[in-house]
Amino acid sequence: MTLLDKFSVAEQLKSGLANVGKDPTSVVFDAINSATEAVVEGRTTILAGTNNYLGLTFDPDCINAGVTALQSQGTGTTGSRMANGSYAAHGQLEAELADFFQCPNAMVFSTGYAANLGVLTALLGKGDVVLLDSDAHASLYDGCRMSGADIYRFKHNDLQSLERRLTRLQDRASHCLIVVEGMYSVLGDCAPLAEIVKLKERFGAKLLVDEAHSLGVYGERGCGVAEAQGVLDKVDFIVGTFSKSLGAMGGFCASKHDVLGLFRYVSRPFMFTASPSPAVMATTREALHQLRTRPELKEALWSNARQLYSGLQDLGFELGPEISPVVAVRCKERETALSKWNQLLEAGVYVNMMLPPATPGGASFLRCSISAAHTSEQIETIIHKFMELRQ
Amino acid sequence: MNNSTETVGAKLAEILTEYLKNNWVNSPSNKRTISAVTNMVADLQLDSFQVMEFMLEVEDHFDVAIDLESLSNIQTIKDLAGVVIAAQQE
Repeated sequence: MTLLDKFSVAEQLKSGLANVGKDPTSVVFDAINSATEAVVEGRTTILAGTNNYLGLTFDPDCINAGVTALQSQGTGTTGSRMANGSYAAHGQLEAELADFFQCPNAMVFSTGYAANLGVLTALLGKGDVVLLDSDAHASLYDGCRMSGADIYRFKHNDLQSLERRLTRLQDRASHCLIVVEGMYSVLGDCAPLAEIVKLKERFGAKLLVDEAHSLGVYGERGCGVAEAQGVLDKVDFIVGTFSKSLGAMGGFCASKHDVLGLFRYVSRPFMFTASPSPAVMATTREALHQLRTRPELKEALWSNARQLYSGLQDLGFELGPEISPVVAVRCKERETALSKWNQLLEAGVYVNMMLPPATPGGASFLRCSISAAHTSEQIETIIHKFMELRQ
Repeated sequence: MNNSTETVGAKLAEILTEYLKNNWVNSPSNKRTISAVTNMVADLQLDSFQVMEFMLEVEDHFDVAIDLESLSNIQTIKDLAGVVIAAQQE
């Protein structure tokens, strides 16, 4: 067995995908017409798998902010904040995030993935304990693994499973970080955060919530699921990304704990990577401003989500457990999912293909993510194309 | 609880058989007899997800905590029995 032989598994996976039709990992958008429409192989295609929840990627004010920053500050920062210093916009965005989450501290990272790695590796070390929801995102798993802490999983959204594990930890529970997501990205279901907060307080643990998919989607102010369930001030660390509702890229952590400020000195995924570019900072700041001042975006998003969920439900598809901007259609077999995904793409609808093992219960899903920018007609078209799959 | 490797191994084989029957009804693994020497990946072709989900059942049955890192050293039911016994003694 040589160094390169292990790639035969990936090769088999790639061939398996190509045999069914187009490889879902190699879709190319030749043109992006709007937040909800692109051109794929010459076909106008509705984008229903982009996590562009508020549809801000083509917002004129966000684009203007980015253009102005490009012209006035250049294309990139060319290094880390530790080595090259910070741009004013980095600090301004951090202050705006702290204000938004009503907590004293916030910190910006270059991607959402880096935020999870950066926070978890700074916060945890050998001897510490993590209790991780079994359906947590890969970046949370990776951050926990990199930290050297002892990792124990609990059953997805199962309070009894979490409580049992906290009980087993005995004295170690006070060194424990519970790691969950606000809204889970595959099925669009939410964590029971209010109950999790009660458990973490009872056992003296800390709680980190990843609101990557719930920022701008849940809560009166759009802070996420913690706000929606009335426990925003009880969560110890909130992490998230700028790449979904805010239509840019980058990640953040907000916290009531002052130690967050010290992460800048110990978090390697923060210290040893280039800081976000001026244009990214500018569009993110403007998008956050839009999120805070245009509640109609969230209303449009939910109206579209309800329309798609009920439309697909009426057609008899097996969907995720609750209405949300992520609508996942469960397929019995992996091959069926791949074939249906290809049919949808050829019919002009792009959705996400979710295959095991990166899926709950090892199932396969056609995952739609809805945007405030979708029109009602586009949602109807998506439903119609799904209906054609059944014929 | 009698915690010999054989006893724990036999119980683990039983839990795994049940787990596969309940959750992976179409899996070819269901047709195999599971014993102490069964290799969960090579013989049963379980993927990482299935192994981790099975581990949640094991933790609850034996009321032990098994660190995710320990999984990388487990191949057979007998290996897992050793980890469970060590966790019981912690």
